[in-house]
Amino acid sequence: MNESTLYRKLVDLYAGSELPAELEEEMEAAGFRDKELSHDMTTLRQTVEMLRTSPRPAMTEESMQRILMKLYSRGVDIQPKAPEPMHLQYHLPIAG
Amino acid sequence: MPNKESEDGLIEKRWLSALAKGDSAALGGLFELYGERVFRYTLRMLGNRSDAEDATAETFLRVLRRSGELRADGAFRTWLFRIARNLCIDRMRQHKLIELPTDAQYGGTEERTTLRITVHQALSELPMEYREPLMLCDLEDMPAREAAEVLGITVPALKSRLYRGRRALRDKLGGSMIR
Repeated sequence: MNESTLYRKLVDLYAGSELPAELEEEMEAAGFRDKELSHDMTTLRQTVEMLRTSPRPAMTEESMQRILMKLYSRGVDIQPKAPEPMHLQYHLPIAG
Repeated sequence: MPNKESEDGLIEKRWLSALAKGDSAALGGLFELYGERVFRYTLRMLGNRSDAEDATAETFLRVLRRSGELRADGAFRTWLFRIARNLCIDRMRQHKLIELPTDAQYGGTEERTTLRITVHQALSELPMEYREPLMLCDLEDMPAREAAEVLGITVPALKSRLYRGRRALRDKLGGSMIR
C-alpha cells in the first residue's frame, strides 16, 4: 500500500479528529502534495464541524410545561428539580 | 474538581436509587437531568414539537413504570435513549414522519440559521441508517459505544454508518459548504 492510499483510508478518522496529532500533521502535509486528498480532507472535516457546531433546538418553557401536563394527566406527580446541594443534605450544628 | 460528566453520573445514581425505593420525586430529578436532551433527540427524530413533547412525556412515564428494574450502573442513559428512539420509530411508522424539525426554535444569527436549515434539510434527505448515527454522535455528542448501544448495533457498524453518513451529507451539501 503506498502512502497516498494509506492516507485516503484515514480521511474519515481525520475528519472526526480521531487521529493522533502527529499523524494528523502528516496527513495535512500530504494534502499539499495531493489536491484530491486535500479536498476530501477539508470538505469532510467541514461537514463534521458543521454538525458539531450546529445550534441545538431548545426546549422552551411552553414545551416543558406541556410535557409536565401530559405526565400529570397520566397520574404522575413530577416536579423537575435539581438535587439538593450537598451542604443542605446534612444538618450541621450551628456554631457560635 | 469533578467534571460535569462524573458529576451528572453521581446525580443520576442518587436519583435512580431514590426512584427504585419508590420516591416519586426522583422522576423530577431525572427529568431535570435528561428531559431537555430527550426532547431535543425526539424533536430531531420526529420533526415537530407536539410529537416530540408526547414522546418525551411517554419516555419518562416508561421510566417510572419500570423503575423497579432500573440499575444505577451507568447504562441508564443508553436505556433512556433506546426507549425514546423506539417511541419515535413507532410514531414515524404511524404517521410516516420523516422530516427534521421545522418548528424548532434556534438562536444565532441569520447566517447561522440559514446554514442550519441547509444542513438539516440535507440531513433529512439521508436514509435513516445514516441519519441516526449523525444525530447521536455529531449533533448530540454521544460517545460511539453508547450510540451503538442505543441503536442496537456494534461499534464498528456504527462507525461505518457514521462515516458513510458524513460523506453522503457532504455530497448533498456540495457548494453550500465551502466558506
